Amino acid sequence: MAVKKRMKDFTLMEKIYLPSIVAGLGITLQNMFKPKYTMEYPEVKFMPSGHYRGRPVLVQEEDGGERCVACGLCSRVCPALAIDIQAAETEKEKERYPERFEINMLRCIFCGLCEEVCPEEAIVMSKEYEIAFTNRQDAIYGKDKLLTPIADLQERIEFLRGNK
Amino acid sequence: MESLIIAGIALVKVLILANIILLTVSYLVYFERKISAWAQSRVGPNRVGYAGLLQPFADVFKLLLKEDIVPDQANKPIHTLAPFLALFVAFTTYAVIPWGPDVTIFGRVIELSVVPNINAGILYVLALTSIGVYAITLSGWSSGSKYSLLGGVRASAQMISYEISMGFSVAGVLIFSQSLLPSEIVKSQSGLMWNAFLQPIGFITFVTAAFAETNRLPFDLPEAEPELVGGFHTEYSSMKFAAFFLAEYANMMIASALIVTLYLGGWQVPYLEKLGLSAGWEAIIQVAAFFTKLVFLMFFFIWVRWSIPRFRYDQLMDIGWKVMFPLALLNVIWAAVLAMLIK
Amino acid sequence: MGKFILDGQEIGFKPGQTIIEAAKEVGVEIPHFCWHPSLSVSGNCRVCLVEVEKMPKLAIACATQASEGMVVHTESTRALSARQAVMEFLLINHPLDCPICDEAGECKLQDYTFSHSVGESRFTEEKQHKEKRVPLGPHVMFDGDRCISCSRCIRFCDEIAGESELTFVNRGDRVTIQTFPGKELKNPYSLCVTDICPVGALTNRDFRFKARVWDMSNTASVCPGCARGCNIDVWVRSNEILRLTPRQNDEVNSYWMCDEGRLNTWKHVNAGDRVDCPHIRRDEGLSKATWDEIYSKASAELHSFSSGEIAFIGSATSTVEDNHLLSKLASHLHCKNIDFPRHIVPGSGDKILRREDKTPNAAGALAAGISPVKDGLGFEEIMVAIKSHKIKALVVVEEDIAAMDEKYVSALKQLQLLVVLASNFNATTELAHIVIPAATWTEKNGVFINFEGRAQRIRPAVATEQMDRSLDGFSMSRLDKFGTKFDRWGNYKKYDARPAWRIFLDLGHLLGLKAKFELAEDVWEDFTKHSPGFHGITYDDLGETGLTVKKELHKV
Repeated sequence: MAVKKRMKDFTLMEKIYLPSIVAGLGITLQNMFKPKYTMEYPEVKFMPSGHYRGRPVLVQEEDGGERCVACGLCSRVCPALAIDIQAAETEKEKERYPERFEINMLRCIFCGLCEEVCPEEAIVMSKEYEIAFTNRQDAIYGKDKLLTPIADLQERIEFLRGNK
Repeated sequence: MESLIIAGIALVKVLILANIILLTVSYLVYFERKISAWAQSRVGPNRVGYAGLLQPFADVFKLLLKEDIVPDQANKPIHTLAPFLALFVAFTTYAVIPWGPDVTIFGRVIELSVVPNINAGILYVLALTSIGVYAITLSGWSSGSKYSLLGGVRASAQMISYEISMGFSVAGVLIFSQSLLPSEIVKSQSGLMWNAFLQPIGFITFVTAAFAETNRLPFDLPEAEPELVGGFHTEYSSMKFAAFFLAEYANMMIASALIVTLYLGGWQVPYLEKLGLSAGWEAIIQVAAFFTKLVFLMFFFIWVRWSIPRFRYDQLMDIGWKVMFPLALLNVIWAAVLAMLIK
Repeated sequence: MGKFILDGQEIGFKPGQTIIEAAKEVGVEIPHFCWHPSLSVSGNCRVCLVEVEKMPKLAIACATQASEGMVVHTESTRALSARQAVMEFLLINHPLDCPICDEAGECKLQDYTFSHSVGESRFTEEKQHKEKRVPLGPHVMFDGDRCISCSRCIRFCDEIAGESELTFVNRGDRVTIQTFPGKELKNPYSLCVTDICPVGALTNRDFRFKARVWDMSNTASVCPGCARGCNIDVWVRSNEILRLTPRQNDEVNSYWMCDEGRLNTWKHVNAGDRVDCPHIRRDEGLSKATWDEIYSKASAELHSFSSGEIAFIGSATSTVEDNHLLSKLASHLHCKNIDFPRHIVPGSGDKILRREDKTPNAAGALAAGISPVKDGLGFEEIMVAIKSHKIKALVVVEEDIAAMDEKYVSALKQLQLLVVLASNFNATTELAHIVIPAATWTEKNGVFINFEGRAQRIRPAVATEQMDRSLDGFSMSRLDKFGTKFDRWGNYKKYDARPAWRIFLDLGHLLGLKAKFELAEDVWEDFTKHSPGFHGITYDDLGETGLTVKKELHKV
């Protein structure tokens, strides 16, 4: 086996090794008395800023209706096929609305492509990250769970507009 | 009647010591996790009981309730024997460690050591720790897994290598105390005549060897999680795993106790006699001193683990044979010269 | 046959051909909105502008006849900039409402914007607004904003449907489409305008907002609405038919199909009255049964009648395969009474596509031997014989006889055994003793033979319980490919129905018929062996557009 020459030979102090060990011990000892960074989750909650991609939700206009026109682009772009939409006709000017809008949270990967592709700014990523269910049926979020008043989503919408 | 009383006293001492060891060991695990967390700016276990103080019990219950898995390819009797051998060795070594001076209770002189007067006390310790390697080697071999086998082989090579420098370091101490009795060794370090100060090289080689013998980082190659998936105990679960776990920490405790006894003056507090306290108070302070030193050393073991990375195997052998061994030899000569000069 | 140069490549043309036609024949598509191969040239969209050397200005490829030695550039700088300018003009007033437009995904304007436009608009003013959501007729919805005034729909009504119903009104950028006063867009072919509309201005009211086109699979099949056998695509999502569209076949239907066939031939497939499992009549009426039960009961009962007491009614709406096995079973039982009812509606045909015979496979049924054997009884005679108790057992395939005429109802009530193969519950199943669920034309493989003797394949588009979309070679959408039963769109309804030929095969086995077929293709092969004129013709020979086999078959 060829012997490789070191880039740099160790000095005597380095060869003794003990001083480095002591220095290392000193660093860990210092750390033991420094403030801790752990966030103790159920009691203390993480408050994300506008950039955070929590579960996707539908924007609910002030009149209570959804902004979505059921164009299906989010469903098309979704890499995990999490979104299922059934469009229907409405008397409103927008003509079209989602009769059924379902996101399968077991499939969702929180990539935010649905939000990016949406031409109406109707689906955005919320700050909500506490998503738990105990069976497959509960994992399918319908309009009842998805519709979120626009006032609650203002921060995210402004973030998106600022980062176009 | 007399022999019955002696036996009774011995039994009480065993019970007290065994409980102290078990409790200490379980809380060592807790503090290992706490200290590692602190060193990494984390909080550590804090969910079970106040500040997580009941965590050790939760761990034990969890291990008890786990399924005991014996691999198909394992040599079953040996596979079962190994963890309990490890545990046995770890616990019996305590017998000869003196944890305080002789005390007189109800007119009877009681030595604070389970088996006080073995002439070959230190040899007994060395002999038992050597048996400890069997536990690991056997467990590695009998598991029928390549990871375990590699861990076992590494363990035996490492422990045999470091036992030599350990033995020579101890020789330096023995030259000074001129006795194999642990209590005599302690007594020979009165005042500040601690062997740690007299033979600093021997102290360092002994402490290093102690780390190696207990398989603690930076010498935990037999376990080496990243490469050996846990090494010799890969194939152990439930109580057998717990036995290895207990033995590891019990070994850490015995290593600390040995360091205290051999190098840090045992239960002695320098110049305590000058205060002129009553014999009873003196004994209590001395026992407390022993355990304080012990606790500090155990903290040191944990502290080192979370500060220093693991050695590579060739480095481990290099240090063992090319550094530690000559240094230990040097220390013997040094001790001999020093002993001639002083005495 | 002359030659001219298109983009540096010499291509041939027939005298009178335009540049766009000659280019299309060699596979070069010159962009076009208003031009359609089957319609007259109007030349108003201007997107097909090409550069012809020695011509002072750019020429529209759809109206410029190719001539000897002509040098045409479709990708020259001038041609490209003209095309981009045209696209920009077209998009000035076209709304950006693709998200709500049904045409999105199959929109020519969308495609060309992507491939032939600069991708930016310099128009910052208010767009021209026109009427939206205008029902032009019972089936077609009009959106004025989206219209690019190509006039295809107007020309279709004038030239193909032969009923002038649509026209332009107004001028300039306010031009829009309207029906003539007092008229509606309701010619029998009105929905074809939604197919040829290059944008989403004209949409199918029946399909409006049902699904996005990219979510559906399309299966090449044949319309069962009349004896023409128009080639169609069946569009399916989540195992549910959502629309039919015509598929080009110049030998049969060109680019068109009638509204009747487009809207009314498939609604029963998704309907709630499907026969979802075998039924047997017990004391309290029809009740559910297993396949084994009905097979053994039907075979045992058929066995108890003499061959003269049994009659079989085939169907011209079933495939050749179904009828072939029915006739095989009848001859195995030495039964001579076999026929099928005709569904001729006088006056319902026209010179375009529609035929008076409302069944797709009358010629096929005859070819498969569904006609009385010597001394046997025909359909009307069978019904009379039932009344006079000569015929005691009847097997009916996919025909609702009871609904055809009042007098048949009383006849059917006389029967001791009535076995009905039906896809949906109807008046005849009300009287049946055994109801066997039969797969519809969208759920099986098979062949229809139209009035011209053209054999054309139908393919399964909807899976029944015994079929799997991926394993049985269905056309699959993305959703089909990646869906699981835990997804709402993957967990769809499948009916427990079987093709009629398989039912007769299984029944025949219990009655001692020796035949072994795995696939409809095997049955077809057996049919071709026994039918003169069909020898050696395989499914592959029929392909997507079919094969005209026997001209003389059309005496139905």
